[in-house]
Formats: sequence, structure tokens, C-alpha cells
Amino acid sequence: MKMLEHVFESLRKHFTGTGRLSRLKPLFEATETLFFIPAHVTRNGPHLRDNLDLKRFMSIVLVALIPPVGWGIYNTGYQTLHAAGHLVGTGTALLKGLEIVLPLIVVSYTVGFFWEILFAIFRKHPISEGFLVTGLLFPLTLPPTIPLWQAAVGISFGVLIGKEVFGGTGRNILNPALTARAFLFFAYPGQMSGGSVWVAIGNLKNAAVDTISGATPLAVAALAETGDEIHQLLNHAGFSFGTLFWGMYPASIGETSTFCCILGALLLIVTGIASYRIILGGIIGVLGSGFLLNLIAGDASPAWFGLSPYYHLVMGGFAFGIVYMATDPVSGPGMEKSRWVYGFFIGVLTVLVRVFNPAYPEGVMLSILFMNLFAPLLDHVEIRIRLKKRIPNV
Amino acid sequence: MITISAGKRYLPAISGKPRAEIEPIKPISFVAAIPESIPYIKPRLHVKVGDHVNIGSLLFTDKRRTDIRFLSPGGGTVHRIDFGPRRVIREIIIQLDAEEKQENFTPISRDDLQHVTGRDLLGRLTEGGMLPFLRSLPFRDIVDPEVAPPSIIVALSADEPFHPAADVYLAGKKQLIEYGLLALKRITDRVYVTVDQQQRRVMGDFGEMITHTLSGSYPACDPGVLLYHTRKRREDNPAWFIQGQDVLLLAQFLSTGKWPTERVVSVAGSAANTPTHFLSRMGAPVSAFIGDSIDENSIRIVAGGLFRGRKVRQASFLGLYETSLNLIPEGAEKTFLGFIRPGYGKPSSSRTFLSRLNPKDLSVDCNLHGEERACVNCSSCARICPVDILPQFTYKSLLVDEIEEALEHGLLDCVACGLCTYVCPSKIALCETFNAAKLSYYKEQARP
Repeated sequence: MKMLEHVFESLRKHFTGTGRLSRLKPLFEATETLFFIPAHVTRNGPHLRDNLDLKRFMSIVLVALIPPVGWGIYNTGYQTLHAAGHLVGTGTALLKGLEIVLPLIVVSYTVGFFWEILFAIFRKHPISEGFLVTGLLFPLTLPPTIPLWQAAVGISFGVLIGKEVFGGTGRNILNPALTARAFLFFAYPGQMSGGSVWVAIGNLKNAAVDTISGATPLAVAALAETGDEIHQLLNHAGFSFGTLFWGMYPASIGETSTFCCILGALLLIVTGIASYRIILGGIIGVLGSGFLLNLIAGDASPAWFGLSPYYHLVMGGFAFGIVYMATDPVSGPGMEKSRWVYGFFIGVLTVLVRVFNPAYPEGVMLSILFMNLFAPLLDHVEIRIRLKKRIPNV
Repeated sequence: MITISAGKRYLPAISGKPRAEIEPIKPISFVAAIPESIPYIKPRLHVKVGDHVNIGSLLFTDKRRTDIRFLSPGGGTVHRIDFGPRRVIREIIIQLDAEEKQENFTPISRDDLQHVTGRDLLGRLTEGGMLPFLRSLPFRDIVDPEVAPPSIIVALSADEPFHPAADVYLAGKKQLIEYGLLALKRITDRVYVTVDQQQRRVMGDFGEMITHTLSGSYPACDPGVLLYHTRKRREDNPAWFIQGQDVLLLAQFLSTGKWPTERVVSVAGSAANTPTHFLSRMGAPVSAFIGDSIDENSIRIVAGGLFRGRKVRQASFLGLYETSLNLIPEGAEKTFLGFIRPGYGKPSSSRTFLSRLNPKDLSVDCNLHGEERACVNCSSCARICPVDILPQFTYKSLLVDEIEEALEHGLLDCVACGLCTYVCPSKIALCETFNAAKLSYYKEQARP
């Protein structure tokens, strides 16, 4: 530790003042503060400060992401080997998964931080911790088959257009990770549509098949004809409620396991980092609209109407989206009651997109981005209502 | 007796609470008046170095309103007048005589008090330099005796860490407080007396005198918070307030006709050796309480509370309103991998540290515990604000000069408790912005 401190002290002169690398000061500072909370003290009152800082704030989200990342790696490896006809052990599945997922994470962080650092240097501000989360969330929303260059293009779009053009962390309107994914979704629908099964096979030796095509749970459901029972179709396709809940099926890397998302949600709620209001609001929104559709379902209505609302919670990326994406404080509302409304409508819109829009089997991403746009309005309305009750002091 | 709860807010317990005892301080030979510690005033000196003054002699007046007089806390010779940049008067230091002389004012007996009008009383308080102890919300400037207040709030407790406990400084002072309250009632019928629920002895002894008991963490005992919770109309806003110890001074002044100097001062904080109370006098030197061998680079001395207090040196003196000294470690050290440590000993009002499960009072220091970042709209400040301002939105509206919007949010209800700045994970000095905005608004509103 002393040695590390010494290393930073000896390097400091190159990065500050007239040092040769002074333009890279933000990079130096970011690296140093990763290891050491600086020795800055308060100038005047309040003389105390809370121990919580933004680094810890964001690190807790990273910790909460460990279950989906771990499961995502295992599941990706398992599905790949399984589809290729191998008998799969835990170790081999993990190794295979790492081989597929790690490059995606590395590309996401490298390319994203390149832009972050570039903007930090030109804007002369410190590198923000927000990207630590964005850079990990983004690859988890991708199918394992995505080409690395597409991931690089996607995260570039997310950081540049999703965040930096608005002025950087804290000023963005949309969630950068979802902006990046939305860009890929519309720009390269072949790899991203959400319809076909995503199993990475390509580079396996002795593969039984080269590629595999099938349908995701959402696509199975979307293909259902009037009069079909969706959960029977899902069961038939191998997607029982249990499978969907535990996450043992091929889909985007991080989104499969609802259970892992619940683990993450618990940590985020217990530590108070994520708003439980958004998460609960979203669940109520999904269940409420699902039940409503059940009520109006008749013989002639599409099969979606009759699907038990619980299935909506475990299918697709809803759990992942509502826990990790919707709770982003920057792009969500800042008022407590607005957070209920915001979460609720994300849930409702997710179900509506799934049920009524055959073009997009999955609706979570779009409904979160859509509600991001409404977050300031929700805040505005709640503040107005609140101020009406307040006794003025002017 | 009405109980006011200031909401559910969590503040970690800080170590270094003063014991419930009063000790005498060692004899002192200097006292001082600190014009710099009194907000808003523009002092005009009426003494020069070498002049002889009595306790209660005029030292300086306020250029804005020359009727506001500041009297000498000691009898002796003016030893030194310390000027700061642009000739701001920092300290007027008086070397005490062995036998201090006192100025004489007309005393009022308790029976006569019933027949004095509020106007007459305020006239006597002005003449006797007692007016500065009465301050008015929302700006907390010295009151204008020409404007009748909607109410006077007497705050017997100050719950900012750490101030003298009401149970301690009010012991045996029941008669004096009664007299003081009687006097205040001559000014307005609506005198609210508030005390912290935890001050059991005062609650028991003063039962019928207390109108409001307060529960909740700092700043539940602040007069501004009480006003926020009790006001019914906008006319209630410009209430006056006075601190408990200042009521004692007021009562002593009126009943004896002598300028009072007695103060109970608490010395506390994580770095204080034996946190306790001292019986001392106004304008006493800091070194009389804590000695003069403290390393000021490693320990911060704060006159006043840890949130609103003023950083002082051990060679300095206590100001007019200051009744506490708090010592905490400066904490200018780096923390290795601090962002991921479990933090059982690191106090936080969030739930992100294991310290939430630690039942002990925890040590604090002056470290920022992070670097300044952009606001991420986490709402920590809105959750902790005692008067339900929306600090993050108010702050942003002030950044774009939308002062009207900030006022609408309740900027003037802000009690400057500093909690928004304290909790901010992005280390934004919200409270500083609010104080600056209030100050510039007040200057705009001031009489020409």
C-alpha cells in the first residue's frame, strides 16, 4: 500500500502542471482514486461529510450485478456446448462462457472508457464512475452471438449520443446502456431482433450443427395463434415457468435468470441504492395490465390475452430491466411518488408492447427508454402538486 | 404541550458527547468580542486600543442600524483590535482588570414587569445591547424592534452535535427562565418554548412552561423547523427566535440591571479528551477550555456545532452566540480501496456501510470521503431535508439563476442545517449555494 502510494507520488509530476502527460491528468486521477480515496478535507461547515461517495454508490451496483454476470457466463457456456451436442460439466461451461462473454465485457469497457477519457481530457473534468455500471450493463443485454465490432459501435453510440452530447454523467436524458442496445436493435436487427435463439456456436470444433435456429420464449409466445394456450406452447418448447425463473435457457447474456435479478434487487434495495418504488411499481404494472388482459380475454382474442401475468415477469428481460436499468437515478425521476408512476408505466408498456406489437417481441427496453423521456414531466407534475400545498415563504 | 416530530431521518451517532457535568474554567485574563462571527452586521468601532471599558460599555454599533449596540463582555483595557482583509474587524481583545467594573442599567422587578409595555421593554433591551440575542427568521438577522413579530420561539435545546444540554445549563435556573419568558410575553402573546424530548429533567421541572416538545434527530430543535411544522399562514413566517442560554442573559440583564456574561460552554467531539461542560463567560479564549498544545494541523477546532460552526484557532475567542467547542480529527489521510470496504466503523446516513449495524457512537473527521462529481439525482438530500425543500431541484434552479423557482421550493425555509451537503454522495456543497442565494436575496430586499 505504501509502495503503491509511492508509485503514484513519483508519477504525479508527469501528469500535473507542465508535465509531459499533463493532458492525461483525468486518467491519472481516475486510476489513483480507484486505489485511494483522496485526503481532501472540508473547508468550512458542515465540517463532516458522509462516508458514501459516488464510487461506492456505483460499486454497489457492480456487486449487485455479480449474480447475473456469473449466471450469464455459465448459462452462455452451457447453452453453447449443449446445442453443439456435448455433455456439459460446470467447469467447462464456465470456461466456454468466459470465452464468449469476457471479450464482450472487455470491448465494452475499453471502447466506452476511450470515449469517457477523451471527453474528460477535452472538457477538463474528472472521469465519472457512472460508466463502470454502464460498461457492464451493456454487454449483459447483448446476445452472445453478437460480433465484437457491433458491440464496439453500440457502446460508442451509447456513450456519445446517450450521454456525452448532453454534457456527461448526470445530465443524460436516456439510460446510456439501453441507448446503446436500442441502437444495435434498430441498426442490426439481424443479430438483435429478439426473435431467434442466440446460441454462440461458430468456433466450436466438432460442432454437430453450425448454427441453430429456434425461438426465444417471447417469440414462441408471439407466434401463438388465437385459441392457443401460451404456457402450454412454452412448456412444449422447453420453457417451463421454473426454467424461465431460474434462467436455464438461451437468450441475451444477463437477462435469463429472474432469480439472479431478485438477488441483485435485494442488495440494491437493502443498501438503498436503487429505488424499491420503481421496482415494485414495475411489478404492479406488469401484473395489473396482465390481469386486465386476462379479464377481457375471450375465445376470439389473441392468445397473449390469456397468458398468466406471472409469466410476463419471468419472460424476456423484464426482471433485468426493471432492477438494473429502470432504477438508474439519472434518467429516472427524482421524486418518490413519480417513481411509483414511472415504474408502473414501464411495467404496463412492457406488456402492451409484447401483446399488441408483433414487430417487437420484447418491450422492456423500449418502454424504459420511453419512460426516461417522461421522467422530467412526472417530476414536474409532482413538484407542482407539492408546492401548491406548501405555505409560501417569500 | 404539543409534540412535534421532525420526520424519520437517520443520522449516525457521533462519539464525543459531553458529560452532564459543569466544571469551572481556569481564570482568564483576556476576553474578546468577535464582530466577524455575527452575520450581516457592519461594525463601526467606538473604542480604540488603550481605552478603558467596563462590562457593558459600548464597543461597536452596526452601521446599518446604529441602534444595534454591542457591549463589552469584560472590564479592562482594549488590548488589541485585530483587522482582517479590507479592514474587516475580526477581534476586539480586552485585557481584564483584577476588579472589573460594570455599567449600570435600570433593573425591573418581577412585579413591575407586568406593567412594562413591549415597546418600553424592547427599548431597554436595545439600550442594553441585548437586542442581538433576538433574531428573526428566515434570514436570522438581528430583529427590527419596530416590526411586531407573529411569534417568538424560545429554543431551549440545540441538538446540533454538540451543544450544552438543556438539562445541564438550566439546572437551578427555573426562576430566571420564568422571568425571561414573562418578559418575552410583554412583546407578544405567542411565545413558544421548545425543548428536546430527551431532556427529561427540564421536561419535568419546567412542565407548564414548555409549549412544544421535539422529537427526531438534528435539526429537530431548530426554531426554523418548528416554524415549518406549526405555521398556518404565510404571515407566521417572520417569527423571532432566541436560544435558551440567551433567555437567561436577558433575564439576568433585566432583573439585575447588570450586563450578564455567564455562559455554559460544552467542549466535545471525537477528538476531545474529556468531553464535558464548563461554566465560563462570554468571549472567553478558546485556550481556556482546551489548552494551547493542540496540533491544529491534525485536529480541527470548531466554535459552534459540527454542521454550522466556525473553524477557529486555539488562540481565538468564542463569539457572541457561540456556546460550544467541538474537536474532531482533520482526517487528511488517504484511504486505501475505500470504496469497497465493509466500513463497520465508518458512519453514514446511507445503508451502504456495515456501520449501520454498529451500536457504538462512531468517530468522525473532516475528510470529504470522496471527490466532487455531477449530481446523479439520487434524492439523498431530499430525503434528509428537515423542511422538505427539494435540494437537488432547488440547487439546479439556482445554478441557472431561477431564484423565483427556488423561493417557491421553499429556499427561505432552509434552516442551513447543512445535512444536504453532508449526505451528498457527489460531494456537492448544496448548502453553500443556498446560503449564498439567501444572502444575495436578503441584500436585494434590504432597506436602502
